[in-house]
Amino acid sequence: MDKKTVTTICYLARLKIDKEKAQKIENDLEAIIELISELQNIDTSNVEPLYNPLEKTALKHNDVIDSDNQKEKFLDNAPSSNEDYFLVPRVVE
Amino acid sequence: MSIQFKSILELKSMLNSKTISSSELIEETFKLTKDLKDLNCFVTMNEGSAKQKAKQIDQGKYKNNSYLTGIPLGQKDLFCTEGLRTTCSSKILSNFIPPYSATVVKKLEDSGSITIGKTNMDEFAMGSSNETSFYGNVHNPWKRSYVPGGSSGGSAAAVAAGIVPASTGTDTGGSIRQPAAHCGITGMKPTYGKVSRWGMVAFASSLDQAGPLARSAEDCAIMLNEMSGHDLKDTTSLDVEHTDLLRSINNPIKGIKIGIVKEFNLNDLDSKIQEKFQDSKKLYEKLGAKFIKISLPNISASVPTYYSIAPAECSSNLSRFDGVKFGHRSRDSKDLNDLYIKSRSEGFGDEVKRRILIGTYVLSAGYYDAYYKKAQQVRRLIKNDFESAFQTVDLIMTPTSPNTAFEFGSKGAQNPVELYLEDLFTISSNLAGLPAISIPHGMVNDLPVGLQLIGNFLREDKILNAAHVFQKNSEFHLAKPSLEDF
Repeated sequence: MDKKTVTTICYLARLKIDKEKAQKIENDLEAIIELISELQNIDTSNVEPLYNPLEKTALKHNDVIDSDNQKEKFLDNAPSSNEDYFLVPRVVE
Repeated sequence: MSIQFKSILELKSMLNSKTISSSELIEETFKLTKDLKDLNCFVTMNEGSAKQKAKQIDQGKYKNNSYLTGIPLGQKDLFCTEGLRTTCSSKILSNFIPPYSATVVKKLEDSGSITIGKTNMDEFAMGSSNETSFYGNVHNPWKRSYVPGGSSGGSAAAVAAGIVPASTGTDTGGSIRQPAAHCGITGMKPTYGKVSRWGMVAFASSLDQAGPLARSAEDCAIMLNEMSGHDLKDTTSLDVEHTDLLRSINNPIKGIKIGIVKEFNLNDLDSKIQEKFQDSKKLYEKLGAKFIKISLPNISASVPTYYSIAPAECSSNLSRFDGVKFGHRSRDSKDLNDLYIKSRSEGFGDEVKRRILIGTYVLSAGYYDAYYKKAQQVRRLIKNDFESAFQTVDLIMTPTSPNTAFEFGSKGAQNPVELYLEDLFTISSNLAGLPAISIPHGMVNDLPVGLQLIGNFLREDKILNAAHVFQKNSEFHLAKPSLEDF
């Protein structure tokens, strides 16, 4: 775990780390990676990954409308909106 | 008559005999929350609506009469509550008022219970000491300068201090059981899929499960009866019959087989914690239980497995917090990417950022197979180990936590892994999706210690039966903190 890797994953995660905390974060990540690297000692050849304890595929809904349009209710929580849309800074110049 | 430290059943009997009205009970509950404000159990109170509902119950306008009708409850602040602020103890959700309620909240409220407020927690449930909350530490009711455990620390402290008889929590790696142990109460993580996750803010979706924290196993059974059930809105919800957990709770436990995990070297623990464990084993033997040594060969890999899978799922789930549709938005962003980065960086605390970064790393190209896929393979080995063990035993018994509660700031500040290792006994049941309970079984250095019972898939009945019989034959769960520091 070096500075360059930390910078890359910070960008991928859309996070910025304060300069004074950068070294601490780097050390912490290093320690956590060291912990999870212990798994390399376990033989998992021919073992299927278990992504969910139930091993079931997700249930499907019938495609029916079961509630009203609650646009206003949802737009109420938006940091910025007009009567129809969530507003964000201009994307296309 | 004081309502403090009363169980659900005791309060229900007071309500039924009209010793107290529902409004008086709620009035008294809010008085307690104010007297014990220093504990910092609650992030947001629900006083107006709670009093209104109590009044309706008193006026007979509420048709349902279940065990929970009129009973005050705390709701962990990561369950969405319609019209009531839900923060996950994070700055990023400090202004979020959900337009709907979580299924768990709705089911509990439909049964007549009264939500008195939202309980404090580790930010987005990431932590085991409640020190990562944006709204400050919750104090341990037994010792003010000690952590209550986490992440459901506010829920545990509110029950332990006798403010509410029960509250909801969520458990991703021990977040119900560990604070229950540190606060001297009973807390249960059900089988994955038993309780709907709809409306519960997701941390690690394949591990998260909601459950109750209460003063006894019997009260946990009452809570869980109401919380469980199939929910079409949660695609991982189990479509099975949920039997009444009170029905078999009093069964004799003679002949029950309890496994002791040979890979957990209990001799490494504090001698007083070992002593409590041996005492409880003796009590169970006296009650007719048989102890069998079992092997879970991959159990020591559960902490590294968890700390690969949970951050991976967290990094994916928390990508929704981007300052666009709800939650905190940074004020001075020059473009959309800048808005994402600034809103997230200002809104999340350090532990949450750490876990998002680790998750992003283990999921990124070149590392996915080595860390993420590898962990999911080890997870299957851990689950297989449990499956074999449950062919010979009914339950598995371990301590809940290797230590008692610790002082604020004393663990994990230098190296977060130190705190992660505290989850050793609790994490594996989340990886395997199994139910488990923590019950109090004595005090070490004036702090409570918890005993964990893990059961097979959907065998909450066996766990609650064994826990209840233990509590009928001991008084550990009746101990109360003096609260003189508050």
